[in-house]
Amino acid sequence: MTGRSIVRLIFVIFVVLMAQQTIMVALRVGGAHPDLVWLLPITAALIAGPETGALVGFWAGLAFDLVLPTPFGLSALVGCLLGFTIGSLTTATDPEATWVKPVAALTGSVAADMLFAMLGAVFGQAQMVQIDFLALAFVVGVSSVILVFPVGRMMRWALEGESRRRSLVPATADGRRW
Amino acid sequence: MARSRRSRRTLTVVILVVLSLSLISLDLNGRTHSLTSGIKSVANDVYAPLRRGVLDIISPIGNFFAGAFNYGSLQAQNEQLQKTIGELQASRTERSFEQRQLHALMKLQNLPFLQSLPTVTAQTIDQYSSNFTATITLDKGRADGVDVGYPVVGAGGLVGTVIQSFHHTCVVQLVTDGKSKVGVTFGRTNQYTAIVDGQGPGSSMTADLVPPRTPVHKGEVMFTSGLQAASYPPGIPVASVRSFHTGSGASQETIEVDPRANLSELAYVDVVQWAPPPP
Repeated sequence: MTGRSIVRLIFVIFVVLMAQQTIMVALRVGGAHPDLVWLLPITAALIAGPETGALVGFWAGLAFDLVLPTPFGLSALVGCLLGFTIGSLTTATDPEATWVKPVAALTGSVAADMLFAMLGAVFGQAQMVQIDFLALAFVVGVSSVILVFPVGRMMRWALEGESRRRSLVPATADGRRW
Repeated sequence: MARSRRSRRTLTVVILVVLSLSLISLDLNGRTHSLTSGIKSVANDVYAPLRRGVLDIISPIGNFFAGAFNYGSLQAQNEQLQKTIGELQASRTERSFEQRQLHALMKLQNLPFLQSLPTVTAQTIDQYSSNFTATITLDKGRADGVDVGYPVVGAGGLVGTVIQSFHHTCVVQLVTDGKSKVGVTFGRTNQYTAIVDGQGPGSSMTADLVPPRTPVHKGEVMFTSGLQAASYPPGIPVASVRSFHTGSGASQETIEVDPRANLSELAYVDVVQWAPPPP
């Protein structure tokens, strides 16, 4: 990763963190609000593959861990696993295909929240599984499908020139962008 | 070539996972918790003013639209508030004499009385920052005399406890959080005790360890017990009974309670500078 990409990535993580903690936390439906943090590793993995996805997930998660009351390092753990998994599962797909982004955002975000709660309970925070998972899955799933597009645009800008995905289909085959 | 890339990729993720697990264990370990808490404290001191700045920019826009759409209900709410203020002022005047007497009695018995304890008024700057915990963040921290374990009251009753205290901010675990447990008393002469358990954000709380067929009534208020080693001073309203029943053969009465504090109106709260006595 180049120095320019790292600086841009820090900026994108900061913008997403601020948007999460100011706007998203206010958009509560059924006690749940959108979780933007997972969209960072998902979009990074789709653009630059599993390794970058894991790295972005780790650092973005760590930044969020600094301001969340949950155990320090938990978002980083889930973020890096999410980035790596999404990157690995979509290696053989065309990242520019219309369906990839929303499907990855929906399944990835919901799975990440479930894993986050379960790992929290494993680490002694039993209250983390005492929530309405149906409302959480609905709110996080729907919001992620919508917000993956602006977050994806920012991530593409941050990782410009970093795209080293090995895909069976060329990334720019049909000329579509985020 | 492809194999070496794959093994490098695996190595990267393994290192990141090990690093994350180390950070989690550092945070959960009592002896090293101060290290992660210190990092969080510095980050929060940097982050809080930035967040406030962003809110200062976007809040007027949100308020404009909220005001435009809810003008009618705001006017009605304002009239209701004026009425409530008038009632409270009258009741405060009537109660001042009784309070003085009660204060004197509590002092004689060496019990802390909530109104005699010093408090720090704080503004709520963040609510429910995570989907998995019921917490709020206040704009007062260690520099203002707020420490971990201090009770927080406001909006009609007990709000929660300070669980993290940074230099200029603190995090309060609400009574509805799944981890919250409060010892309470209730009954005509406060002869019954129970534990009020939070069941997570959005779920109603329960009063546990109440023997079957204990007389309770709907709306009955439960107060902090202040028993030995209690985490709260006595006499703070915690919850009121919503429903109760004893199942056949049950070893305890099932009581559902609602928090006394209006947890959706927590713009300002009081942090009580009271720490539990050492065991």
